[in-house]
Amino acid sequence: MYIDTLFSIFALTAVAGSLGLVLFRHPMRSALCLAVTMISLAGIYALLSAKLIFLLQLIVYAGAVTALIVFIIMFLNLREKDLPEENERFTYFIGGAVVLIPVAWFMIKVMKSIPEVKNSIVGNGFGSIKEVGQMLFTNWLVPFEIISLLLLVTLIGAVVLAGIRRESND
Amino acid sequence: MTTLDIVMVIVRVSISAFVPLCFLAVCVTMERRVAGFVQDRSGPNRAGIYGFRAGGLVQNLADGIKLAFKEDIISEHVEHKFLYVLAPIISMAAAIISFALIPFADTLVLDGKAYVMQGIPWDTGILWFLAVTGFSVYGIILAGWSSTNKYSLLGALRSASQVISYEIPMGLAVISLLIVYGSINLSDIARFQGQNWLGFIPMWGIFLQPLAAVIFIVAAFAECNRTPFDLAEGESELVAGFHLEYSAMKFAVFFMGEYVAMFASSAVIVTLFFGGYNIPFFSTDFLIRNIKPVAFVMLVILPVFMFYFAKWIRRNNRSQYPRENDPREAEATVYIRCFWILIGVIEVFLLAILAFAQPDTAAAHLLVALMQICTFLLKVTLMLFVYVWVRWTIPRFRYDQLQILGWQKLLPLALLNIFVTGAIVVALG
Amino acid sequence: MAAKVKQLPSRGGTPAEKVYLIEIFKGMGITLRHFLRNLWDNSNLYVRHYPEVQPNIPAHWRGRHRLLTHSDGTPKCVACFMCQTNCPANCIMIKAGERTDGITEKMPVSFTIDLAECIYCGYCVEACPEDAIRMDTGIYAFTSSNREEMKIEMDEMLSLKGGYTEEEYQKGLEDE
Ligand code: SF4
Ligand code: SF4
Repeated sequence: MYIDTLFSIFALTAVAGSLGLVLFRHPMRSALCLAVTMISLAGIYALLSAKLIFLLQLIVYAGAVTALIVFIIMFLNLREKDLPEENERFTYFIGGAVVLIPVAWFMIKVMKSIPEVKNSIVGNGFGSIKEVGQMLFTNWLVPFEIISLLLLVTLIGAVVLAGIRRESND
Repeated sequence: MTTLDIVMVIVRVSISAFVPLCFLAVCVTMERRVAGFVQDRSGPNRAGIYGFRAGGLVQNLADGIKLAFKEDIISEHVEHKFLYVLAPIISMAAAIISFALIPFADTLVLDGKAYVMQGIPWDTGILWFLAVTGFSVYGIILAGWSSTNKYSLLGALRSASQVISYEIPMGLAVISLLIVYGSINLSDIARFQGQNWLGFIPMWGIFLQPLAAVIFIVAAFAECNRTPFDLAEGESELVAGFHLEYSAMKFAVFFMGEYVAMFASSAVIVTLFFGGYNIPFFSTDFLIRNIKPVAFVMLVILPVFMFYFAKWIRRNNRSQYPRENDPREAEATVYIRCFWILIGVIEVFLLAILAFAQPDTAAAHLLVALMQICTFLLKVTLMLFVYVWVRWTIPRFRYDQLQILGWQKLLPLALLNIFVTGAIVVALG
Repeated sequence: MAAKVKQLPSRGGTPAEKVYLIEIFKGMGITLRHFLRNLWDNSNLYVRHYPEVQPNIPAHWRGRHRLLTHSDGTPKCVACFMCQTNCPANCIMIKAGERTDGITEKMPVSFTIDLAECIYCGYCVEACPEDAIRMDTGIYAFTSSNREEMKIEMDEMLSLKGGYTEEEYQKGLEDE
């Protein structure tokens, strides 16, 4: 019972956060709304007993990525007068909503067609760090390594880009 | 849920929520008096209630009352008032809940049921600490940014970038530890350190992973924005840093959050590297099995300790100038009596245990748990002392030195440590 | 006077010093020694227990002002305004009046010093041709909760006594 309540709370805050992300005019407020969404999503992961994902969501998305976004917005130190005029905001909102209606309708149909299953406690140790680690390093080893290669490429790319900038500055 | 369950939940949660807050008084007093003693002066020792000064503790009460009743100002130029008020709350909340997953005693077995002695009985341990301390950055950034003050903004920039960059060596140092311990659960880690090596060296993290210990402790200092990494405050150039515009209770919340964070990170350092709640050389099982000898030894040691403690109080709690009927000597007498009464009560309990308790009963388990809580708090206090001691020894780093230390020294060292540890663990099988 | 330059050997170059940690531990050893010594017995502290134990004020210390009197109790001051002119903080306010007892021609009707403004430089004492004002009371603690009370008037300054004997005061001037 109280799992349902918790789920509704998390889901509502997630939706509210993402609405705020779009509707607030000041980027700092939008970024904080993003953090709220991230934390509520983490809560939903925790309800699904996916502990590792819950923690990673908190550390990486809520803790690091959003914090960096907020940090950079602080760096720019935007004030009310620096923000661009957005006169046609609401036209775009309404247009976007109209475009999204068919998609939403389709999604609801898909959801309805999924047969209802009784949710039950999944197998022992599901989602815990050990299980996920074993899974990653046995069944999913190749994709895992490829992703780490990708990350390495991004890292090197970032360093190279930063290096080029410095040379041209000198 | 039985009544015992509910009581245990309340006990655990209140320990993990209120002990850090109670330690505020210890931290602040220690900070000021240690600073005084290191510099050969005495620190605050005048404030008193009817002449009872409690070695400077009453000063905290006075300061607290002052901060609580001061006018709470929000400057006109603060545009985002909500975020401005939210910032200290985030700081404080993140600090308090980061202590929630740290075990302060070994799993307590009562009526055949095991209770994990943490605020939240989860097994995600150290990752939770890393996640939650990451949130404190929001408090800093929001405070600095919403103050609309260039000094606050600069302070927030510095401390946020410092916290973000030191999180990386900290996380890497933790990884090499996890390889050794084979678990991220802080309870498991603490239990692992209860073993002995070759029979006489406790298997503490500091002996198994000295390099990781150094990196982690340095990074923890930086995460708490403590000297030598407190350039976010840099009072000579930035006035006070990110909490410059805050006054009264909002400032106090920042201030308390800082000390609670210091307490939590000391607790983590103790749990990871200094054996957590373990009493050196004595494992929990050993203590529970031999509860009678343990109680007897305590029975003997406590009065002896108290005797010397009383002597120390006598020597130090007196006016250091000629004075007739020195009221401070009378004050010392009162303190010594109170302590003796306390010791007497403890002795009665110990005698009862000595007379009636059998090994492996609830009483034995409770006594051991209490002893472990005391040991844990003692270790944390020592670690807090190290924080204070370092603060009054080492001058502040320059900003570029700070970043060089973090990225060019600690980060490669932590990576190297991971490889070496991994190789050794694999080689030893 | 040419500035003396003292060359200190530059430190921090050896590998042992570059590791930082060793030097940090050395420094921490020093602070720990101080801490333990004072914790063991706090009579070792280098502090004066101030309100109870008063400091020893030397004779050439510039404390609160007083106005000197002739033997008959009338002020020595001749209202020449030297001190007022000289005062860098502009905190002396004198009103002059005629003197009828024949000792001199002028005397102050009111003589006010705003101690909240005074910087205790002692120029007024040096400027006075009559040795009528001195700062030898040895009073160093003077507080008030409002600005008006920080102004002291002629009567008060006349009634103050010097804290030292004449010889001590003269010797103090030489020391200065
Ligand atoms: S001591 Fe200096 S500042 Fe004070 S009244 Fe005399 S001349 Fe003025
Ligand atoms: S200089 Fe001396 S004599 Fe002249 S007004 Fe001042 S106190 Fe009086």
